[in-house]
Amino acid sequence: MEIGYQFEPLHKEEITHSQLVRYAGASGDFNPIHTVVPFAESAGLGGVIAHGMLVKGFVGQAIGQWFSTKDLVKFSTRFRAMTRPGEKITVQGSVVDETADRWICQAEAVNEAGEVKVKSSFEIKKR
Amino acid sequence: MSTGLKEKIGMKLETYTFKVEAGKVKELALAIGDLREEYLNGEAVLPTFPTVIDFWGGGASTSDLLGLNVKKVLHGEQEYEYLGEIKPGDEITVTGVVEKVYTKAAMNFVILKKEFVNQNGETVLISRSTVIERH
Repeated sequence: MEIGYQFEPLHKEEITHSQLVRYAGASGDFNPIHTVVPFAESAGLGGVIAHGMLVKGFVGQAIGQWFSTKDLVKFSTRFRAMTRPGEKITVQGSVVDETADRWICQAEAVNEAGEVKVKSSFEIKKR
Repeated sequence: MSTGLKEKIGMKLETYTFKVEAGKVKELALAIGDLREEYLNGEAVLPTFPTVIDFWGGGASTSDLLGLNVKKVLHGEQEYEYLGEIKPGDEITVTGVVEKVYTKAAMNFVILKKEFVNQNGETVLISRSTVIERH
C-alpha cells in the first residue's frame, strides 16, 4: 500500500425498482420518493431516485473488498447526483494520503457515463 | 430560511434504543448485494448498518421535527466515525442534537450529530448527517 495506489473497481449490477423497495424495507427509509413513482413525480424528481445510503452501501462494499471493515475508522460521503433505476454503478478509489497510523483514501461511485453520484473519503487503521 | 429553523440549533433529537438483530444485518446485506459471509451469518455488521438503527430505532420523522417539507428534502452528506465495533446482539442507544443550521445557494442545510452508545456504555459511533431542504 502506498499513496496513489488505485483499488480494483467494484462493478455493481443495474439498480432496479425492486432493489429500492427491498432497500426501503431493509433500511427502514420509506420516503416514497424512492419507491412510489407518482409521488416522486409530484415532488418534481421525474421518477423515483435511489436512496443515497444505498449508493454509500456500494462504497462500503468496495471498502470491504479493499480492506477489512474492522479497520475502518471514518467514512464520509457526499451525495452529488441522483441515481435512478436502470443505472449501473462502479465504485473506484485510491489512497490519497497517510498518517503515522492511518491510510487516507477516497472513493467515488459513478454511472456508465462517468457521472459522479457520491464522493467518499475514508480512513483505515494501518495494520 | 423557514421560520424558526435557526432556533433549532442545539435542539435535542428523540433518544431511542435498538437491538441489533442478525436478521436485519442479513436483510441489509441482501438489499445492497454485499454478500460477505460475516454479514450473512451474523458475525459482523456492514459499515452503513447505522442507518438501519436510525430508521428502525427512531419513530419520529426528522423532517416533521424540524418543520421541513418532505418533498423538498434531500440527504446531502453522511459521515460515520467508528469508535468501536457494533455487533449483532448489541443494544444501541442513540442520542442526537441539531449541531448546525445554515443557508447556502438558496437551500437550507441542517447538520444532525448522533452518538451511538452500546449496552456497556461505550460510544461506538458518531454520525453526522447533512439534511438539505430545497427552497
